[in-house]
Amino acid sequence: MSSNKIAAILTQAEIDLAQHCLTFAQEEGAQKVRITLSKSLMNLIGLLNGEVDKTAHALDRSLQLQLFVDGRYGAFSTNKLEKEGLETFIREAIDTVKMLQADTCRDLPAPERVAKDARTGRELGLFDPAYDQLTAEGRRELALASCHFKASSAHSGDSRGISLLAEEGEYSDSVFDTLTIDSQGLYARHTETSFEIGYETTVEDARGNHFSSYWWDAAPLLQDLRWKECAAIAYKRAMEQVGPQEIEGGKYTVVVDTECASKLLTPVLNALGGFSLQQKNSFLVDSLGKQLFPEKLTILDLPRAAGETGSRLFDSEGVATREMSIVDKGVVKTYFLNTYMAAKMEMEPTIEDAIRVKVLPTGGHKTLEDLLKAAGDCILITGFNGGNSNPATGNFSYGIEGFLVKDGKKVHPVRELLITGNFLQLWGKLLATADDARPCLSKLIPSLAFTNVDISA
Amino acid sequence: MIHPKEHYFNLFQVDTPVLERLVQAALSSGGSYCDLFFENTTYGSLLLRDGAVTSGGNHIDYGVGVRVLSGEKTGYAYSESMAWEDMLSCARAASQIADKPVDVSPYGTRNPSRGEPNPAADRYPVVQHWRGTPLSAFLPFLQKLEQAVRQRDTRIVKVIANLAFQVTDVLMYNSARELKWDTRPMGSVSLTAVFQQNGQSENKSTSRSFRQGAEMLSDSLIEEMAMELVHGIDDRFAARRPKGGSMPVVMGAGASGILLHEAMGHAFEADFNRKGTSIFADKMGRKICPDGIQIIDDGTLAGNRGALNFDDEGIPGQKTYMVEDGVLTSYLHDRISAAHYGVRPTGNGRRESFRYAPLPRMRATYMESGSAKASDLIAEVQKGIFVNEFSNGQVQIGEGDFTFYVKSGYLIENGRLTQPVKDINIIGNGPQALADIRGVADDLAVDPGAWTCGKEQSVPVSCGIPTVLISGLTVGGE
Repeated sequence: MSSNKIAAILTQAEIDLAQHCLTFAQEEGAQKVRITLSKSLMNLIGLLNGEVDKTAHALDRSLQLQLFVDGRYGAFSTNKLEKEGLETFIREAIDTVKMLQADTCRDLPAPERVAKDARTGRELGLFDPAYDQLTAEGRRELALASCHFKASSAHSGDSRGISLLAEEGEYSDSVFDTLTIDSQGLYARHTETSFEIGYETTVEDARGNHFSSYWWDAAPLLQDLRWKECAAIAYKRAMEQVGPQEIEGGKYTVVVDTECASKLLTPVLNALGGFSLQQKNSFLVDSLGKQLFPEKLTILDLPRAAGETGSRLFDSEGVATREMSIVDKGVVKTYFLNTYMAAKMEMEPTIEDAIRVKVLPTGGHKTLEDLLKAAGDCILITGFNGGNSNPATGNFSYGIEGFLVKDGKKVHPVRELLITGNFLQLWGKLLATADDARPCLSKLIPSLAFTNVDISA
Repeated sequence: MIHPKEHYFNLFQVDTPVLERLVQAALSSGGSYCDLFFENTTYGSLLLRDGAVTSGGNHIDYGVGVRVLSGEKTGYAYSESMAWEDMLSCARAASQIADKPVDVSPYGTRNPSRGEPNPAADRYPVVQHWRGTPLSAFLPFLQKLEQAVRQRDTRIVKVIANLAFQVTDVLMYNSARELKWDTRPMGSVSLTAVFQQNGQSENKSTSRSFRQGAEMLSDSLIEEMAMELVHGIDDRFAARRPKGGSMPVVMGAGASGILLHEAMGHAFEADFNRKGTSIFADKMGRKICPDGIQIIDDGTLAGNRGALNFDDEGIPGQKTYMVEDGVLTSYLHDRISAAHYGVRPTGNGRRESFRYAPLPRMRATYMESGSAKASDLIAEVQKGIFVNEFSNGQVQIGEGDFTFYVKSGYLIENGRLTQPVKDINIIGNGPQALADIRGVADDLAVDPGAWTCGKEQSVPVSCGIPTVLISGLTVGGE
């Protein structure tokens, strides 16, 4: 069977329809047009306590239309892809754009900036050719084989009186195919498959307190999905949560597990985005070229790594991605500026967002355990519970859970704690990193250690 | 505005025989129940930035979701095409959950109330329709809104104003031959400004969201939002982080309803209890907070963001008392959980769109007023904190640990509001926080903001509360 049989793969007729819409919009009065045609297919099997609890099958399609008309701009989308209806939709969209106020900064990216090496969608090797061999029965067997409920049930009820309450799991696989074209000749396609598995396990102690944890994995190719150990890890992590003890608030060294470390970096990346900067709603305004972070911190964007989760050859404008430094030895090296924001800020455009971020390890510590040893007495953060940050000031406050650590060893779980501070000050207190980022993450951020952090309890 | 049945049949290119055939196809492998959810949503948006409305657009979402239940197990699939072959394919995909007839039916299928007609009460009547009004008609509203804000404070350096609206037509049919239809409007306005003072920046936001037509875009709304945006900005600049730790917290009336949403509302959603994971799974009929407290989830508040004529399973919108006089009296049910517990559904089966199977979800969640005065509750606290503006919250269902992020508030020292505070997270445990309520004021307010709940899917909700005093929560600080 050929992969063309997969319902989520764009057909030539659908691509022709997108091309027709592009031409039609120009004929109707749009000077410039960008169209993104997308389809996706997802199959999901949900599990509860070792049995199939739900199934889901989803086939999506959409056509997004960005119109540049008489110096004005509008964005439209529809999932009704019949030709006649689309023509009416486009005609009405153009009329709508004409009613808006003019904005001379709106434009398509210059043709020399767009990707020219994304013709088939398969260039990055993110499409699993075995996808079309999957069957409903095969999916069900894989999902059921991933359960750990019987083993966990047998193990629970130990001397501490802990019982397994629920094991919820989800297996899913999906195909995503998208094509972006514009009236200046852009033709960029991205096709990928994704396989995911996740488990959440809840246990109860003898006093009726509940403790839960999760584990998950994902991969573009099924052969790389680590599905066998997922449920067992979730159970182990839930059991480790039992018996939390209170600690005093104060200043602590903290180690943030790679699993949740993006919580502390994502606001920094957002603050380097053109939208925040242009609106002066960023704590990194006027930061370009300045040493605002410690010299040991280098952050790269590596968007073109073949076969790796999160890789992309182009952004939503069709602009070609490239490897670049975001922060180099503590110095801010780039803002994320799409064509529009660059024009408004009178700067050169870059890329609209970080694609596949990697924080370079500081060296000397390979694993989380190595980092804990280096930190000595500290709090290990394994999860965040709510909280937020102020984009204008960089102040943050998050709920956390994890473990009290003495001499590099976990002593007991802690929860209902809060970490509070300011991002610039926090990153200034970076002690070291491990080198343990999981490849299933699109942001490759290793476990991080910071000193002198405010913890409320 | 609810149209005649034929409007929805034409929109989705179906009639009753087609619906019946589709249900039969979905149940061809067995199963105990099937429902169909047809949706046609049109969205519109306008964005004002840097003094001009330079961005806008329309979006269409159209499709049908097919759900098959086999006992408590769910098969779900959807189609974005109403061609019979596509819908049939979708029904067959959903049918895979079942391999035999199951004699366990969700609520309402054994003694169906043949659902026509729709309810007499329309909870979201529309005066000026969003559809059919050109976007250009709304430009002056955003421009006046920006002017009203800027003229109130010269420290404003940036303003973003956003208008978003959607109108959703739904048609529901199920294997009990219940047929329901509805048209749901929603208009939302959000406003954000960045202020600068002595080289320091602060941002502040506000929003309004209602199930109303474009008549909501009034001059009084402009005044109200502009006033609210600039109110308290001096305190925001003066605010400091408090010293963190456990302390009494007075939660101001209105938006503090996020406490109810996070600390208890999710834990009362019956799917978590059916699975045994909720911290409240074994507390039905038990005292969970002090006498005199009523906590409600309500789909009947006309024009409210959480209002529903029907939920997304065709169950009439209703007002549900979850806590009466301090006793847990009801979870929030969809059809599956209602059958599991042997009770009537509470009209909480909701979904983000036809792409999702419904789940028990909140609507407008609030606590009824008590008898205390807000000023007296503050006066009771020697050292604590008063909070009244929030951005987001979260809960861990199993443990019951909840958090919410405080954008602004004040220290309470010796019974008086003193130093402004900002940007702190507060954390607590749901059952403990309920038990620790020490006073409820007589000033219930339901917040009019654009609250969205993100439990697996995004649905519009609202929340409210009178001023309450909680004896101890953990406050983030330095």
